[in-house]
Amino acid sequence: MKKILSPWGLLAAGLLLYPIIFSDPFYRDIGAAFLLAAVSASAWNIVGGYAGQVSVGHSMFFGLGAYMPLLFYTLWGWSPIAGIPAGILLSIALALVIGMPTFRLRGHYFSMATIAVAELIRIFFGTWNLVGAAIGLQGPATARAWWDLTFRSELPYYYIFLAVLGILLYVTFAIEHRRFGFYLRAIKASERAARSLGVPVRQTKMKALALSAAFTSAAGSLYAIKTGFIDPDSGFGILVSVQMVIVAALGGAGTLFGPLVGALILVPLQTAANTWFGGGGSGLTFILYGGVIVLIARFEPGGLFELWHRLAPRRWRRARAA
Amino acid sequence: MLLEAKNVSKAFGSFEAVSGADLAVDEGEIIGLIGPNGAGKSTFFNCLAGDTLPTTGRIVFNGADVTRASPEAHARAGIGRTFQVPATFDDMTVIDNVMVGAFLRHLHRNDARDHARRIVDLTGLRPDQPARSLGTPGRKRLEIARVLATDPRLLLLDESLAGLTPTELRDAIALVRRIHEMGVTIVIVEHIMEVIMTLTKRVLVFNQGRVIASGTFEAVVKDEAVIEAYLGRGARRPPPYPPPQAGEGSSIFPPPHAGEG
Repeated sequence: MKKILSPWGLLAAGLLLYPIIFSDPFYRDIGAAFLLAAVSASAWNIVGGYAGQVSVGHSMFFGLGAYMPLLFYTLWGWSPIAGIPAGILLSIALALVIGMPTFRLRGHYFSMATIAVAELIRIFFGTWNLVGAAIGLQGPATARAWWDLTFRSELPYYYIFLAVLGILLYVTFAIEHRRFGFYLRAIKASERAARSLGVPVRQTKMKALALSAAFTSAAGSLYAIKTGFIDPDSGFGILVSVQMVIVAALGGAGTLFGPLVGALILVPLQTAANTWFGGGGSGLTFILYGGVIVLIARFEPGGLFELWHRLAPRRWRRARAA
Repeated sequence: MLLEAKNVSKAFGSFEAVSGADLAVDEGEIIGLIGPNGAGKSTFFNCLAGDTLPTTGRIVFNGADVTRASPEAHARAGIGRTFQVPATFDDMTVIDNVMVGAFLRHLHRNDARDHARRIVDLTGLRPDQPARSLGTPGRKRLEIARVLATDPRLLLLDESLAGLTPTELRDAIALVRRIHEMGVTIVIVEHIMEVIMTLTKRVLVFNQGRVIASGTFEAVVKDEAVIEAYLGRGARRPPPYPPPQAGEGSSIFPPPHAGEG
């Protein structure tokens, strides 16, 4: 009973009940968008937050994951589900290939290298006819069976996304409490010191990138299956990568629930901006992201989670004194 | 012999930071590396720790050639090191910092935690204290605790006792003694002569990348080359070195006027 009433038990209950309480498709859609942003940012968080390797090119994995289900459907008429593991495997392979040269670089150089690779892939997909070039690919318009994952209601998507988020959070929690998690945090703080203690730095970073790529790819697949459409910009565009970074950094990079907190704030804000300004506010997302970057960098580089950790004890101290 | 470095040189472009240095360390020894700033001690130290690749020479540890081995391989082989500027993992607690070291030989979390707790108790730190909140002495202790958790056979201490108050220094010297009594061989780079004099049986003096003298502390301070390296050419030979009181000055030699008149 105590566990259910803990903040995280209440959060889980809230997430499970949300689409039942808010049955309007608009709110359910916001809920699904929140979960997808939380999955993407939590996946990025493994390598960007815990290991401190700030990739700004994670859209390369998101895009691969998004293209594969629709490519399997377009080429062979297979269920988009079949494309999900293919996307994950390809993303892991890409992570290993990309990780080898880029992990020789540190800090901003690593970030810039990841942007360059993601942009190269975006341009390549934009000219490759097999994947629809600049036009992109479409999924099944009407479902042939449930395994096409083409639903009229937002509800099944919401719960599929929630299940994936649950798995990802469990994996991240397990990592946090194992040797691997300790190594990631040590690498983030000081690679040189970590190596001197016998931490296999390159190998650990590669593992983190591969795991992060796998979940980011899954997020991409979920996005494409729900939207039923993918093109180079919505799959590999830099905004996709930036959103993952911002969501995680806003909530608290390197914390289990930081990305959730970030998504909880940013996604409704984005939706509100889009609703208020409609098509005329298409550039507003950039302004919003820019504003969030400035605020985090200036006032709270550790994100809202760290702010809460810093302020909460003080409040408790005051309450106890009273 | 536990460690043998033979003819180790390290050049950065045309500048030779270390030139043909030799060092032999027996199991159970405490050896001091001293020398003026820029003498090449730290570069040589980094070569021993696997952090810097020597240009020439050979380093053998426990019968295995580790000259070109990575820092990780050095740690696995049993060579641990601290850093001149403490590199603690600031977002982690003391016990978590030490667990990173403990994981090298204890794969399971509970084993690593138990081992780390024993080491933390030895160093007198509070296990749940955030590393970020520690001052310089605490951070230096934490670094020592963290490397001890890797169960090293050879411990390389890079100015780990610098910047401490006299009381902290006494405690730190006692800690190094305890570590030595646990059977760990120690090589220590230090500017504080009290530390070198109190802890070491043998000292190597570096100057301009070369080992210019080696022997007991009392012997090397009388060496003409050492006097010249510290005080300059033409300096008078100082009188026999009086051991300072704990916490007193850090100069190798007393002021030139001491003992005169």
